[in-house]
Amino acid sequence: MSLLFEKTKEVLRTLLPVVILVLLLCFTIVDVETDVLVRFLVGSVLLLIGLSVFLYGVDLSMNPIGEYMSQEVATSKTPLKIAILSFLLGFLITVAEPDLLILGSQIQEASGNTLSSSIIVYMVSIGVGVLILLGVFRLLRDKPSYNAFMAVIYGIIFILVFFVSEEFLAISFDASGATTGALTTPFVLAISLGLSNIKGGKNEEENSFGLVGAMSAGPILAVMLMSIISGQKNIQGDAGEYVYAEGVIWPIISKFPGILLESLIALLPITILFFFYNYIKFKIPKSEFKGIIKGLVLTLLGLTVFLTAVNSGFMDMGRIIGIEIGKMSPWILIGTGFLLGLIVVLVEPAVHVLGEQIEEVTSGHIPLGLIRTTLSIGVGIAIALSMVRIVVPEVKLWYFLIPGFLIAILLSFIADPVFVGIAYDAGGVASGPMTATFVLAFAQGAATIIETANVLVDGFGVIAMVAMSPVLSIMILGTIFRHKKVEYPAIVKKPAVTSSHLVDEINLEHDCILVIVNRGFAEKVVDVARQSGAKGATIMRGRGTGENQKVMLPIINIELQPEKEIIWFITASDVSAPIADSLLSDQQLEQDGEITVFVSPTEAMVRSFTTIHGPG
Amino acid sequence: MAIIETLFFTVVDRGKANAVLHKAQECGAKGVTILLGEGTVQSRLLRKMGVTELHKEILVISASEELSDRLHDTLCKTFSLSKRNKGIAFTIPFKRWHKQTSVQEEKTSDYSICDDKITHYCIITVVDKGRGRECIKSARAAGARGGTLIHGRGAGIPTDFYFPLVIEPQKEIVMIITTKDKVSAIRERIFSDLELGKAGNGILFTLPITRTSGLVEDRFGESKEGTS
Repeated sequence: MSLLFEKTKEVLRTLLPVVILVLLLCFTIVDVETDVLVRFLVGSVLLLIGLSVFLYGVDLSMNPIGEYMSQEVATSKTPLKIAILSFLLGFLITVAEPDLLILGSQIQEASGNTLSSSIIVYMVSIGVGVLILLGVFRLLRDKPSYNAFMAVIYGIIFILVFFVSEEFLAISFDASGATTGALTTPFVLAISLGLSNIKGGKNEEENSFGLVGAMSAGPILAVMLMSIISGQKNIQGDAGEYVYAEGVIWPIISKFPGILLESLIALLPITILFFFYNYIKFKIPKSEFKGIIKGLVLTLLGLTVFLTAVNSGFMDMGRIIGIEIGKMSPWILIGTGFLLGLIVVLVEPAVHVLGEQIEEVTSGHIPLGLIRTTLSIGVGIAIALSMVRIVVPEVKLWYFLIPGFLIAILLSFIADPVFVGIAYDAGGVASGPMTATFVLAFAQGAATIIETANVLVDGFGVIAMVAMSPVLSIMILGTIFRHKKVEYPAIVKKPAVTSSHLVDEINLEHDCILVIVNRGFAEKVVDVARQSGAKGATIMRGRGTGENQKVMLPIINIELQPEKEIIWFITASDVSAPIADSLLSDQQLEQDGEITVFVSPTEAMVRSFTTIHGPG
Repeated sequence: MAIIETLFFTVVDRGKANAVLHKAQECGAKGVTILLGEGTVQSRLLRKMGVTELHKEILVISASEELSDRLHDTLCKTFSLSKRNKGIAFTIPFKRWHKQTSVQEEKTSDYSICDDKITHYCIITVVDKGRGRECIKSARAAGARGGTLIHGRGAGIPTDFYFPLVIEPQKEIVMIITTKDKVSAIRERIFSDLELGKAGNGILFTLPITRTSGLVEDRFGESKEGTS
């Protein structure tokens, strides 16, 4: 089916459980006004439309823009240019994020005006810029390894934790959730994918993830540093009086223009930067440019409809459910929290984008359902624990936060490297607009009814928990799915044989050689083949079946299919036999690479053969 | 004569590959590789609405000729490939290379597929990323039905950027299945439209196909199944 239809179906599948759960609650234990219920239903329909259109638009616009920009970054000739450009990308996407603006004013209020809102926004954006810069440098150098890189960053955070109060601990993690919004996350994911695609190499897959994870550490560091420097320890005040909207249609319509403006502002900086670069450098063809513009418009409209739906339809509902259930026994509250977390996270826009990217990058090697299930369980537990915190005030946020991250960091050294990047990304991905509105409203609702809880502090803590738990749960998954360690071949650079008989290629017969190996061996195959006289090659990624490489998940019997690479060569038929022989006689390729070679005669039109794939 | 070995290709909607895989394994298939690709849209209405991509999965199965025949039959039945838009399957004769193949043997025995066995051709074009659509368009103009697009990358060329990057150019691989009589027209058309004669624009080659299933040959919807 068409892409848009596919997206709608996917969104519907994740949205339906939420609607069913809420309706179930409404008809059984929670008493809800008809207005709110109808608004929730209208909101659900709008959410479905908005999110589908948004995801479609992101595919059309953010992905190509990310690709072009990352190409520009990677192909810079000086480190300074890489630094400036990647910093700018990080800074620009963050500074306009609507969630961050709201957070800024909240902190300003809570700190009694000692910290001004604009300083917070700029500090956080600088934090993101710096972290993106470091992340990009790490990715391009491919060292230090990602898990060590993140361990150092979180090590610094852990040291700072001792100097800040619990309130600011919550706020700083919340800031990280706020910056990884609906728009930033897909864009940074695209940048990460683009960079690793250009870089290639054996760690290509691992490098496709992790930039979001690196980025979300920026705000944490920035807010903590600000708290320490300004000496601000406590936050004052309380969440303002909550006003419920009335009516059905008006609350939705009245919110629309404001959100449209916010979304536009959020989208603008990166669009301008791209247009600027397109004007002076890329000059992409008109038809493609039109597609990107169309995508941008769809992204804007989709995002606006989505945010309107969530803000007007879901927030009140979440709060009322929170209040009503908060009145009942704590166990019901904790249980409902778990269920909500379990299903709401799957409606997050960025979760869809990440899932798609995982499928694309690993060519189906990591099943989408598996990542989603792990993510939901993680977030479900996070919300449940947040409810525990609301009910029992003695339980502090850092009881969960610090050990959670510590375990995750320790596991990152034994887990499968691809999962490490995905895990850190998942933290930022899970804490999106749905969590920030629906789940947060639910928690705050419960907190207002339970006397011992502080609405502001507990509210901030929820997002921090949601940002932490998926990191841990996916890291655990990655540890279970540890690959059998295969030593990837070191690529020896030897001057390739330049055979003279390839000059007159047009008149020769050709053979097509198709080689299938395990992932990571393609470079080696090309290397060996080139030494026997092959010229260029085309590499495709796939997954396959293999007896030795089976990675099984105990108990539930899920199997990860090993990843393969298919390499095509077109060669003159008189060199095809030596190439095939030399490939098969390579020990490492045969044993670890499980190589198979196929040869077939072909009619090729390869007049330009020698120049396409560069010097042999 | 040695047993002719083949590669059995099948293109199905994304998500169905694992089901096909299990079926194929039941038939005795061993080496299977699955690729993600994109298909073209048959419906003109949808095309007008700007829908141009379909997500597909491509299974490449290494099989003997006899096994690939069995696969054709089984998969056709189970996944009703003969119906429109349910997926296609085709067989390309390939020689599986073994270590001690002596040169003489190889030269005499492998390529002896009789010409009359070849029912279709698979035209494979490798172009820079983004030009795959263009390629399918010009193939359509020359009479092709559609094509399948797979993302890949070229082997790297070292460059002089700040980081010692080996730029691996992103490529698109376009597979177009067509009957014998149309093959040269389509080839010529793609070759001239995409200016493959110019350096660096891409390469094109064809592979023979001995049997197809589920290929809808023309608009009247008569399905043409290989008779092997």
